[in-house]
Amino acid sequence: MRVRRLAVGLAAIGLLAAACGDNSSENNNFANSGDDKISAKGETLSVWIMEGTNPDAKPFFKDVAAAFKEETGATLKVQYVPWADAHDKFVKSIAGDTTPDVAEVGTTWTPEFADVGALLDLSRQVEDAQLGGDLVDGLVEAGTVDGSLYGMPWYAGVRSVIYRTDVFEKAGVEPPTTWDEFVTVGEKIKAENPDMITFPVPGDSEYGVYPFVWGAGGDIATQDGDSWKATIDSAEAQEGISFYTDLALEHGFSTPAATTWDEADTSDAFSRGEVAMTIAGNWTPGALIEANPELEGKIGAFPIPGKDSGVSPSFLGGSHLSVFQTAENPDLAWAFVRLMSQGDFAAQWGDESGFFPGSKSLLEKAQAEDDPLVAPFAEQIVEGGKSVPVTPLYGQVQGKKTVSAMLQSILSGDATVAEASEQAATEMDDVFAQGG
Amino acid sequence: MSAEPTLTETARVGDPSDLPPGGSGRTPARRGIRIPRKLWLPWLLLTPALGVLGVLLLYPLYRVGALSLQEYRLRNIVTGEVEWLGIDNYREVLTDPLLWKVAFPNTAVFAVVNVALTVVVGTLIALLLARVGPWTRGLLTSAIMAAWAVPAVTGTYVWVFLFDSRAGLVMHVLGDLGLVDPDTTNWFTERLPFYGIATLNVVHHGFPFVAITVLAGLMTLSREVMEAAIIDGANAWQRFWYVTVPLLKPVFAVVTILSTIWDFKVFTQIYLMPGGDGANRDVLNLGTWSYITAISQNNFGLGAAIAVLLTLLLLAITGVYLRVLFRQEEL
Repeated sequence: MRVRRLAVGLAAIGLLAAACGDNSSENNNFANSGDDKISAKGETLSVWIMEGTNPDAKPFFKDVAAAFKEETGATLKVQYVPWADAHDKFVKSIAGDTTPDVAEVGTTWTPEFADVGALLDLSRQVEDAQLGGDLVDGLVEAGTVDGSLYGMPWYAGVRSVIYRTDVFEKAGVEPPTTWDEFVTVGEKIKAENPDMITFPVPGDSEYGVYPFVWGAGGDIATQDGDSWKATIDSAEAQEGISFYTDLALEHGFSTPAATTWDEADTSDAFSRGEVAMTIAGNWTPGALIEANPELEGKIGAFPIPGKDSGVSPSFLGGSHLSVFQTAENPDLAWAFVRLMSQGDFAAQWGDESGFFPGSKSLLEKAQAEDDPLVAPFAEQIVEGGKSVPVTPLYGQVQGKKTVSAMLQSILSGDATVAEASEQAATEMDDVFAQGG
Repeated sequence: MSAEPTLTETARVGDPSDLPPGGSGRTPARRGIRIPRKLWLPWLLLTPALGVLGVLLLYPLYRVGALSLQEYRLRNIVTGEVEWLGIDNYREVLTDPLLWKVAFPNTAVFAVVNVALTVVVGTLIALLLARVGPWTRGLLTSAIMAAWAVPAVTGTYVWVFLFDSRAGLVMHVLGDLGLVDPDTTNWFTERLPFYGIATLNVVHHGFPFVAITVLAGLMTLSREVMEAAIIDGANAWQRFWYVTVPLLKPVFAVVTILSTIWDFKVFTQIYLMPGGDGANRDVLNLGTWSYITAISQNNFGLGAAIAVLLTLLLLAITGVYLRVLFRQEEL
């Protein structure tokens, strides 16, 4: 009996392995040309969309579902996934073969999921539909692995500094344009508003420190052929990290509470009116005003100042729309991707969410509007939009929270900038050395 | 699958066409049920339990064990290719200073302290409950049950909020009393306060089980024994230590072992606290370390090795504990 059960078990494992083996990606998953209309009456398309990008996404997707039904006859089923859980959820669903047909995938995750064969190559569909020339370059680059496009650029976002215009006015200061000015402005605000957090330095937000690493002329890691080498402990990078963490440690602009804050906590504090200025994404002002209507008209933005002049680069993030290899009808999935990433719906999503569309023509339109909460971010994208190392390995570094751990240990006084950054570099190099 | 219907149908009807195909088909169902039944009935009755155990326990156990010997990442899941490493994963974990300086002490010390506190607090509450009248007992039991019923996630967020550096009630009260300076304090960054808060959370969530179980044991003690002890001149402490505790030893064994298992593998309450998700390396324990390695970094093999070590540790401690207990019983 025991032997038989073992045999059955082994057979089941074998079948499972075989079933997994069949899933290796092939290039010709699409039956139709990328430009074709398709009819799929009675079918259902499951889609994951990240929660919170658009403060009120439900009416938007109701319209999309109606248009999608009209075009293809198929029903759209949207599931909203919180950003914080999304990566784990994707990994688990890839492991369990329960991925949706289409999902919004954060740009830094696309190479990772594509690398393991979870996503379909969209290059041919994009070519068929003649969309290639209009896609925003940075997003195409982030979605391209070995020359194939696995993420359709949907929207882009960038972090700059948002500030309270009323607080700045009262303190009689203007948005700073260099790091020295940044400190001067901060000191004046702090003197005027001792109860406010002048500028929180959150320990659990890696995207807050990158601009200062880059602004000081450093980098996170550099590529040499096929291999990567951490440079976060270089003298330039350390200078940037020191400047950033000293805003908290030396100048007292932050609060000890922020040592364990992530971006959501920083936003919460800002929406409670406790924060004078903070690094925040171009998508946040809408949500902040939604959370606290009293902030309406009191939020401004400026690009993260360069060390001596210009703009410190900031991470150009955003989302792709990707078709998973589990999609039952890839052509239907592509029809949805095309509908969402182009034309009216793409423009409407940008308007409602405060993000920049992934298509050049729409981006130019958005830049032309002289909105005080759009223009500074547009300037940040144009003058200083930068990517974290484009390798699936960097996803692992992020999963390990290497940079957050570095920041927290500096902010809590457990390590000096030199110690913490060397530790971070060692961790990164370990991941780079082990490979995917 | 069709276990229950088979039993009743074969006993009642006796038409072979009613028999489902498969294992039970070879039993002569028409007549002479009595003799073969001895053979198949136990297995038939065990099938649901074995099936559930096999699917939920044995296969995952085997899988984690196998994973811990492999290089297994996202890529392997999708391609199905398996790369056997032997004990490399274990070597990597066992030589990692993080294990000996952080994860192991955090796990072990936390578990020991929490088991002790949970059992002591639970027992004290049980003794109190045994003394009060039925109405008060009902009221107190309901209140205790509420603490038990709160999901770990909700409970954790409440405790985190209470100790929050800016908005937390505890910080406000202590700040107003001048005991701490809210402007320079963040309790979540240091190991001791972090685990202190986690201890409050876990003990608060865990003591009701101990209290209710020990109370049930106390109710079964016969009054005569206590009266005899009183006549012999035993004071309250002596009655508790020399009479109640030995009599309730099996109950204490159960609550201690279960608490040990729960507190060793504590995960939710740590992971959800600020910095508990890996950003603060000082507060990792075996559970969160395993999860972060396996799920956040997609290094499933290494994560599985940590999980196996945690399981072995638990087995060893439970084994030692049981041995000590039984040896005392024999004496």
